[in-house]
Amino acid sequence: MTGNALLLDAQHVTQRFRLPNGQLLEALRDVSLTVREHEVVALVGPSGCGKSTLLRLFAGLARPAEGAVLYRGHPLEGVLGAAAMVFQSFALLPWFTVAQNVAMGLDARGVHSGAQRDAVARAINLVGLEGFEQAYPKELSGGMKQRVGFARALAVAPEILLMDEPFGSLDPLTAETLRSQVVDLWRDPATGVNTLVVVSHSVEEAVFLAGRIVVFGSNPGHVREELVNPLPYPRQERSPEFEAMVDRLHGILTATLLPEPVAAAPQRLVPFPRVHVSEVVGLLDHLLTRPGGKGAVFELAEDLGVDYDRMSAVVRGAEQLGWVTTPGEIVVLTPAGRELMAMDDAARKDATRARLSRQPLFARLIAMLKEEGTVDDEEALADLTIYFPFIPADSLFQTIIEWGRYAELLEHKPDVGRLALLASPEGAPELRPE
Amino acid sequence: MKPLRFPLALAPPLVRRLGLADIVILCLVGGVIATVVTFAREFEAPFHEAVRIDLRPAALPRYTLYSLTRGVLALLISYVFALSYGWAAAKSRAAERLLLPLLDILQSIPVLGFLPGLVLGLVALFPTRNVGLELAAILMIFTAQAWNLAFSFYNSLKSLPEPLSDACKVAGWPPRRTLWQLEVPAAAQGLVWNGMLSMAGGWFFLMVNEAFRLGDHDYRLPGIGSYMSVALDQGNVPAMALAVVAMTVMIVAVDQLVWRPLVVWVEKFRLDETAGGAPAASSWVLDFLRRARLPRRLAVWLRTARRVTRSFEGPLRAAGPVILRGPRVALASPITRTAAAVLVGAAIVAAAAGGLWQLVRLLAPLGWREWRDLAVSGALTFARVMGAVTLSTAWALPAGVAIGRSPRLAQTLQPVIQVVASFPAPMLFPIVVFLFERAGVGLGWGAVALMVLAGQWYVLFNVISAVAAIPEQLKDAATMFRLAPLARWRALYLPAAFPALVTGWVTAAGGAWNGSIVAEYIEAGGHLRMTRGLGSLISDATAHANFPLLAGGIALMSLIVVGWNRVVWRSLMTWAQTRFGLGT
Repeated sequence: MTGNALLLDAQHVTQRFRLPNGQLLEALRDVSLTVREHEVVALVGPSGCGKSTLLRLFAGLARPAEGAVLYRGHPLEGVLGAAAMVFQSFALLPWFTVAQNVAMGLDARGVHSGAQRDAVARAINLVGLEGFEQAYPKELSGGMKQRVGFARALAVAPEILLMDEPFGSLDPLTAETLRSQVVDLWRDPATGVNTLVVVSHSVEEAVFLAGRIVVFGSNPGHVREELVNPLPYPRQERSPEFEAMVDRLHGILTATLLPEPVAAAPQRLVPFPRVHVSEVVGLLDHLLTRPGGKGAVFELAEDLGVDYDRMSAVVRGAEQLGWVTTPGEIVVLTPAGRELMAMDDAARKDATRARLSRQPLFARLIAMLKEEGTVDDEEALADLTIYFPFIPADSLFQTIIEWGRYAELLEHKPDVGRLALLASPEGAPELRPE
Repeated sequence: MKPLRFPLALAPPLVRRLGLADIVILCLVGGVIATVVTFAREFEAPFHEAVRIDLRPAALPRYTLYSLTRGVLALLISYVFALSYGWAAAKSRAAERLLLPLLDILQSIPVLGFLPGLVLGLVALFPTRNVGLELAAILMIFTAQAWNLAFSFYNSLKSLPEPLSDACKVAGWPPRRTLWQLEVPAAAQGLVWNGMLSMAGGWFFLMVNEAFRLGDHDYRLPGIGSYMSVALDQGNVPAMALAVVAMTVMIVAVDQLVWRPLVVWVEKFRLDETAGGAPAASSWVLDFLRRARLPRRLAVWLRTARRVTRSFEGPLRAAGPVILRGPRVALASPITRTAAAVLVGAAIVAAAAGGLWQLVRLLAPLGWREWRDLAVSGALTFARVMGAVTLSTAWALPAGVAIGRSPRLAQTLQPVIQVVASFPAPMLFPIVVFLFERAGVGLGWGAVALMVLAGQWYVLFNVISAVAAIPEQLKDAATMFRLAPLARWRALYLPAAFPALVTGWVTAAGGAWNGSIVAEYIEAGGHLRMTRGLGSLISDATAHANFPLLAGGIALMSLIVVGWNRVVWRSLMTWAQTRFGLGT
């Protein structure tokens, strides 16, 4: 497939956004990626890794801050006419009928009214929406709406179909049906679509659809690894080859999401993952029920019905507090974790308090509070922004408050916007930065 | 092949015969044309400062139509303004930084602040015809209508979901198509609701707009507002009552014939698909119109006409871009762009400096005594405004909670309240003042009551909608846990209504400030009643063409309103939102 013509070429692309609070967020840093003719490329990775940003750059909806995006060797000027896009939220105009929505892109491509009617009918036919031409989007189910989204994209007979989590807001059953239909559409020469770029949240989906899977890492977004998926189409989801591929991708993702702890200076500040107390306790509880108190991250995610990157965030949280370890991609309950689960509520809070006081980020905040008595929210937020410029400080701060409150360690008054120390952290070694 | 059920000639809806609805539509269209024609003649009439107003009842329908035409024209101008202003503010970050604060200030300037400039300028421009004065009146109504529309359009542009605008860009829509098929429809609900408010706001100063004194000139235009003021001057009670009736009829008619159908129709343009719980609103006029055949035929004709004209569009389009492309090409390079930005910035700074200089020069004749007078008057009126807001809250909060609690009551009362609220309170002022005089209350206190009339509805509306929006489950919980009535108020209704109450206060205070201008200075039955205050000071300065004092008064009022909004209301609103907002 490498011999095919180069369609899209992102060269050393960097993209930044300014958050409403003025913080500058780097969504992508120095990303290079090519898409060739007749490829299906899936972009996967944790949320906030910039995969959707890259898709928008390919579509020409945004310009990169640095680097360039080329289409067939020429830099993109405005929206890429050769591409159509399918959105996670469908993005249908509620005041347009199905047929009008499908015809949205035809005027700009100079299709005249007679030909427009044909193109609309053909596209509606391809996605199986005959009879719904005059319906309004609000009369349709989610799956039907996304069919309209696909029909709108197919109507312009695009060379490249860009899809931003196209099955993300559908129920699993509908998603599966539509997924295999997308593969059929791609394999069908009559549609004119020969290249797909899909942003996906699901490992199985990426393995099912893509010939090449690009794994992104976050903070800031960058390409971690590219994986070629040689399985022949149509793919059988229950086949051993398919499952082996899924496992391989899981392995890569886990390595991306749960980096081996660096044996660096212990004072190094690490952001605490934005997870709730109940989630971590729920994870430990679930691990207790498993033989040996262990399991692979993606298994745990499946069993608990949460998505993959949420699960790994919870695991990272539990790991930072010493309740699990993660050798390889397996999560193992530690003795401390078992002990915690055996405790009653009050004892559990005490243990959490002791653990939190040793977590470098909390330790730093406690030291600040001991010195000054109270800390204003703004001060704490500014501090977080300096240390973790790529993480939205507000939500990190909310997480700190939640854990601090749970452990009866911190007191926060939202009305005055001030933090104070509630208890002196027992058994905590005095950790003073500098 | 499917068997045909009907003979083809009967079935298609397009060839059905015209019905009653079509005849009504034709009559209405004819009426509108006739009104516009007579109004245009009025426009062209030779210039008289003061038209003689005929107080006979037979003349009233004509006057009412004149006033209505002015209001509608002003609203159309307001929409054009709102679309361009809101669009500019939402699309360019640089424009946003200038236009938003400017809107805040414009919103706080009472109509009398625009009056002298508009009247003197436009009358000078058309010295022989009535056009100047008419335009001045229309633009004065415009100044009471435009700002909230612009805000509304700006807000809905800003809150447009990104995937939708992305979808239009990917579809290759030019900005103009995106404006008409995405941005305006998405804003339609806000634009219609705010249009209703604007129309009511435009009527508020109707009497002032149509009949006012500027120095030794007495300007008067034919209309229901001037009818009312002449009736007042002559103490003609039956004529006053007739004017009130005519005004009410006009408001109800506009509400039923224009706003209700529009409100129902724009439901189609909701972005969120939740039905909102409330039963779908209905409008008998819209149902009636939907049955009409004429519009559908018209649409077919228009489509045919478009198809014909399309062949001419090509050459026109080819000619257009030559003019448009020049600047676009020039602006493509970063150097010219920076240069243009610097030039525009410099022009703005120069204009602002010039304006400030003019204002300072205008204010220069004011001595220390006048400034002290302004300050004292400002303080007095400020106290009255706060009193009016307190009084409005005292009755409108309990009433609003009571109405909002019961969906049935809300549904029946809402349209009634809407109509009552659109009635221009100043028309009732003389009657209220007369009652007060009977009871021995002076205008000093009476003005507070008049300002309540001007601001109370905003409090009521906001409380009703907030209480109606309390989730059913919260109310169920309050019932389940047997909260006593008092506890229910304290725990549920007051906190839930509080953010909306603050919003209501902001608008009510604005209305009261505006109202002070007509409430503290009332001319009726040939003699003038006034009480000390910023409002009467402004009215008096206008009547005596004391422009420095007028400018000082307006500037002070805007300053107080904007300052109070920025400092007190805004922080109160943020606090109310974070503390009591129902959306977690």
